[in-house]
Amino acid sequence: MSALEIRNVRKNYGSVETLKGIDIALQSGEFLVLLGSSGCGKSTLLNIIAGLAEATSGDVLIGGRSILGVHPKNRDIAMVFQSYALYPNLTVRRNIGFGLEMRGVAADEREKAVAEAARLLQIEALLDRKPSQLSGGQRQRVAIGRALVRKPQVFLFDEPLSNLDAKLRLEMRTELKRLHQMLQTTVVYVTHDQIEAMTLASRIAVMRDGRIEQLGTPEEIYNEPATLYVAGFVGAPSMNMLQATVQGTTLAIDGAKASLPLPARFRDAVQDGARVVAGIRPEALRVAADAAAPSVPVEIEVVELTGPELVTTARIGTQRLTACLPPASRVAKGQAASFAFSEDALRLFDPDTGKAF
Amino acid sequence: MSSTWMTTRAWLLMLPLLVVMVAVIGWPLVDTVGLSFTDAKLVGTGGNYVGFDNYTNMLSSSNFSRTLVTTTLFAVISVAAEMVIGVLAALLLNQQFHGRAILRALMILPWALPTVVNATLWRLIYNPEYGALNAALTQLNLIDAYRSWLGEPGTALVALIVADCWKNFPLVALIALAALQAVPRDITAASLVDGAGPFNRFRFVILPYLAGPLMVALVLRTIEAFKVFDIIWVMTRGGPANSTRTLSILVYQEAFSFQRAGSGASLALIVTLLVTVLAVAYAALVRKTAGSAA
Ligand SMILES: Nc1ncnc2c1ncn2[C@@H]1O[C@H](COP(=O)(O)OP(=O)(O)OP(=O)(O)O)[C@@H](O)[C@H]1O
Ligand SMILES: [Mg+2]
Repeated sequence: MSALEIRNVRKNYGSVETLKGIDIALQSGEFLVLLGSSGCGKSTLLNIIAGLAEATSGDVLIGGRSILGVHPKNRDIAMVFQSYALYPNLTVRRNIGFGLEMRGVAADEREKAVAEAARLLQIEALLDRKPSQLSGGQRQRVAIGRALVRKPQVFLFDEPLSNLDAKLRLEMRTELKRLHQMLQTTVVYVTHDQIEAMTLASRIAVMRDGRIEQLGTPEEIYNEPATLYVAGFVGAPSMNMLQATVQGTTLAIDGAKASLPLPARFRDAVQDGARVVAGIRPEALRVAADAAAPSVPVEIEVVELTGPELVTTARIGTQRLTACLPPASRVAKGQAASFAFSEDALRLFDPDTGKAF
Repeated sequence: MSSTWMTTRAWLLMLPLLVVMVAVIGWPLVDTVGLSFTDAKLVGTGGNYVGFDNYTNMLSSSNFSRTLVTTTLFAVISVAAEMVIGVLAALLLNQQFHGRAILRALMILPWALPTVVNATLWRLIYNPEYGALNAALTQLNLIDAYRSWLGEPGTALVALIVADCWKNFPLVALIALAALQAVPRDITAASLVDGAGPFNRFRFVILPYLAGPLMVALVLRTIEAFKVFDIIWVMTRGGPANSTRTLSILVYQEAFSFQRAGSGASLALIVTLLVTVLAVAYAALVRKTAGSAA
């Protein structure tokens, strides 16, 4: 039995279809990240799970029980919002205990639960303050504490870290991961930050225009993107996409006098003469030392040192390639070079459907 | 440019305004203070200096204390009712439903009407011979015979309070409605998930955002209600048997009906002082409330 199951959920606002049939089943303890660009329907889906919005059709089950029409407070979920959503005139202590207070939990039991959550989140010293006397990071801890004390079956997070500065976001990300590893509660987490998605998720659902483009583990999403959209969305800098044409057992790169060997695993899938998009991650490229691996001749255009790596943009005929090279690599602007990569790193996509071969 | 020139120029530019203000507010005020220490009549010569006699007579008169009670009753009850009805109306008009925009516009109407029109309207409603209220109550079998709502000391003040509420609750509703737009959707959502019912949601989610603006409405309305003159003058002239006589009506009677300018002036200054004390106390309260919601 799944901890959370979403069955063919659709949502229309007037004539606009915001969700176009979403299917997800989560095992207990999974950390699902809904990843996608702004407006793709992530919050809408989360709100439907929480009961804050109603699905036009489809079903949502928690612990095998349909929760359609069940009031949010009775769904055994807790939610953390991007804006923290703390009650402005209650102390941190009462904010955290509010859900229990509303459920009529006795004061001493409540106090124990609040103390426990405050200890986990290291906010014991703040319990008597009002939200206006807290920093953004502290407010988000309180908001998480408010969700924790309820001990729900499913935690819902809607971009909880996006109002924090970069350093704090990193800290809180680690903190959330630690909490999840400790509590092992099922989580649905919305973000449009792909690093957050990759680091936190046990599975990622990449959403686009109200549909799930791909549902898989972070490794699958990164290594075997199912579509051009996923390939372009996950990874920074994003995957190189070279327009190419199949010529027998080679891929002729459009606009360049260069070709790549067509890996054996694709030979049955693509037809001779077909136009394809060849995807290679910038991290998979290196400067060719010998002629053993497949390689392409390029002309270096721009070299940027980010610290841990040398982000190099190079021209291959009329197209461009980006490579993340070790900082010690000997490349210079204007120089001719050759980029090599392992055959396994190459992905092929159909340019018409966007699907991977 | 020197700063003395800047200062001089500022004063020069303000001068016309200052002259007008001194002429229409400052001078009458000083004149009233002077008048309040005399036994001057409305017409005729200046009168004689009588010291604090006007003040002591006025403050010790039973007329004054009775009027102060009537005014306080009128102000407290009508403002309290306006606040409650106004907030309830705002909460209703903040819901999603068809025709909400039209209803919001209609609601402002009573407040937009001139007070005289409003007062005349209510006199018709309360009319002892053909008033709508008598007709409605008779048809509902709530009363046996038509009554003179404004003609009986027992009902006149209540009837006035109802009319004043009808006129002024839209202002409170309008202010509350604007404040409700500022309640963050996420906090409302969080309170739903946390299991707060309508009452607790109002108390912990809505009220913090409503308190400041409502305080401003409360201050405005109390001070206005304390000074009330027009609606009462048109509907009852302070009667019957002085049961609806408020401080402003008493000032008018003293100064104009009884032509005792000196005594009227002293009463006017007493009312001014009372209202000022109210305003200062409220201003402090507003500052305190504004600090509470972040
Ligand atoms: N109450 C509503 N009425 C009408 N349209 C809505 C409503 N709520 C959301 N939408 C529309 O549904 C689409 C999806 O919105 P949603 O908030 O789910 O996006 P999102 O993926 O969470 O985006 P973001 O990353 O910006 O938060 C948007 O096009 C939005 O305009
Ligand atoms: Mg969103």
